[in-house]
Amino acid sequence: MKITAPISTPAEVEPLVRAGARELYCGVVPPDWIQRFNTSGVNRRLFGNLNGYADLESVVEKASALDADVFLVLNAQQYGEQHLDALTGIAARFRSIGGKAAIVADISLIASLAAHVPDLDIHVSSVATCRNVESARFFASLGAKRIVLPRDVTVAEIATIAKALPDLDIEAFVLNDGCVFEEGTCHTVHLPMNKGGPICIDNYQFEYRATGGGKPAERALRRLEQNDLDYKRWLWYRFGNGFSLSPNGYPWGPCGVCAMPAMHTAGVHSVKIAGREGASERKIKSVELVAQVLQRIEAGEAEQEIREFATGLRGAPGHCASGYMCYYPEMRSRAAVSEITPAAA
Amino acid sequence: MNHAHTVQDKTAGPIELGFALVDERELASFARHDRLTRDDYLDRLGDARDCVQLPDDAEPTHFFLGSEFCEHLLPSVEAIDRAVALCERWDLSFGLVTPIACDGLFDPLRAALARLPAGSEVTVNDWGVARLVQREFPDLRPVAGRLLGKMLKDPRLPSATWARLYPNGLRAGPFRAILDGLGIGRLELDFPPFGAADMYAGIDFPVGVRAPHGYVAKGRICKLGSLAVDTPEKFSPGHQCRRECLGFSEVGARPGTNELHTSQRGNTMYYRHATGMAAAVAEAVRNGWVNRIVLSGV
Repeated sequence: MKITAPISTPAEVEPLVRAGARELYCGVVPPDWIQRFNTSGVNRRLFGNLNGYADLESVVEKASALDADVFLVLNAQQYGEQHLDALTGIAARFRSIGGKAAIVADISLIASLAAHVPDLDIHVSSVATCRNVESARFFASLGAKRIVLPRDVTVAEIATIAKALPDLDIEAFVLNDGCVFEEGTCHTVHLPMNKGGPICIDNYQFEYRATGGGKPAERALRRLEQNDLDYKRWLWYRFGNGFSLSPNGYPWGPCGVCAMPAMHTAGVHSVKIAGREGASERKIKSVELVAQVLQRIEAGEAEQEIREFATGLRGAPGHCASGYMCYYPEMRSRAAVSEITPAAA
Repeated sequence: MNHAHTVQDKTAGPIELGFALVDERELASFARHDRLTRDDYLDRLGDARDCVQLPDDAEPTHFFLGSEFCEHLLPSVEAIDRAVALCERWDLSFGLVTPIACDGLFDPLRAALARLPAGSEVTVNDWGVARLVQREFPDLRPVAGRLLGKMLKDPRLPSATWARLYPNGLRAGPFRAILDGLGIGRLELDFPPFGAADMYAGIDFPVGVRAPHGYVAKGRICKLGSLAVDTPEKFSPGHQCRRECLGFSEVGARPGTNELHTSQRGNTMYYRHATGMAAAVAEAVRNGWVNRIVLSGV
């Protein structure tokens, strides 16, 4: 099992690989793209991209020297037909300098790359919302070599797909960044924070309505409001515990490190650390965190021991036991759950 | 394959009009009708009926049951049987609407699809479900649902310039070829904020538009669906659901804005068409770019 980590500058390559990442992914916004299309929307993120082709070549060269692979994100949810040739050109150029794979969500682009850049592996982005065996077979039929599963799948669902399709690489989220909506069915942009930011944490003021009109009954309303409080707490976890770090410098936020032994058993090829837009230090600490767990898996330690080690890494197991910080909350230790108290969290 | 011949032109007669029902319990109220009229459909929209502009001669032709957004809302086979029987009585075409599926949903989906008469439409919102329909139910007619017709639909966008950041790829050749390969012969789409009537022009498939609500985003995590779940288990995939979303929704706005009317039901956020958007959809109908309107609530 490999660690797949995000980068946004060439300077991040060496520390991330030294920390344990064997696969790196990045985006680039070529200047000629902006001139031609008057938009920076080459991929899912407007920020966190490399500055241009020179940076991209530098990233591939540095990674290659360290025996790491580089993937290019071309993962906008959709592209116009006018973009396909330009994107295929970017992908071909990436392949020519030693790039390994493109991470793609748009099915037209997947088909175009399979036809015109056959030497470049195609990884189906989590933005494609591929989360069943038949869908994975569909993308494989288009030429995909890997499926990056979306957030919010269970480990059992991951195992089902991985076991049914052993020739397809499966990548699953393990750390950082927690969209509330599914990426492939969220048709918004992350606005600048002064315009609202991501829609899932924007300042919408909602009121409940009963179906058929009117306010819900008082008792129902109280339950709904209590559920809202729980939801706000979950949101706090979902967005990195208020975008903070643990006392020992590791990132909080959605995490699946205790599920890594089960994912390894299921045949997962790679675990993905999200967060291209994050600071370099956050990326490095993220890889360090995941690598410590991976080393124990590779050393053959017992699953229960690894899970206990994983939940102790940040020095605050109460957060793990809350279940709200988990990509795979079904993996939590029942014993730990019973011990949770507000003070521990 | 060129589908243009099947797209309505200005002289092709009335458009198709459908209603999409999510809550199978509401079939009982529909069952009281011996036949359904456009007003019966529009009445189901409540206040939102004013956000729809239909051609004068548009009358019901289709009735759909099921959810695009949630695997917990797949109709029971009993409800499907009842809806099929009602559609025979009303002389309407029946269609089943399906969501993005986890593997655990495929057997219930097979059971549901097996109840459909030959020629029934199945609105698919998952490429895997499209493959299932094509391979195991070749006498059914898959329609690409609006979760497969990707477009930017953020109701908060400050201007039309933002809306051009990510243009849609509905006219791309590979997209058409892939739909053809799956036997999909129709697209169902939303009308987005800052959209224009001609956004549907040149799409090489018959197009239906959902009205008067577009969906903004949908998740697998469901706040309302966690209402009856114990605190540590809430807001996670895979747990049981009591379908609380059928009883409650949320409406609201961002303070200090005059944006589209916004609401949330279960795992999905919606915007409601403003008057200008309804007019643009009507214009698309007049020009033959859209030949079906599917009415639905949130």
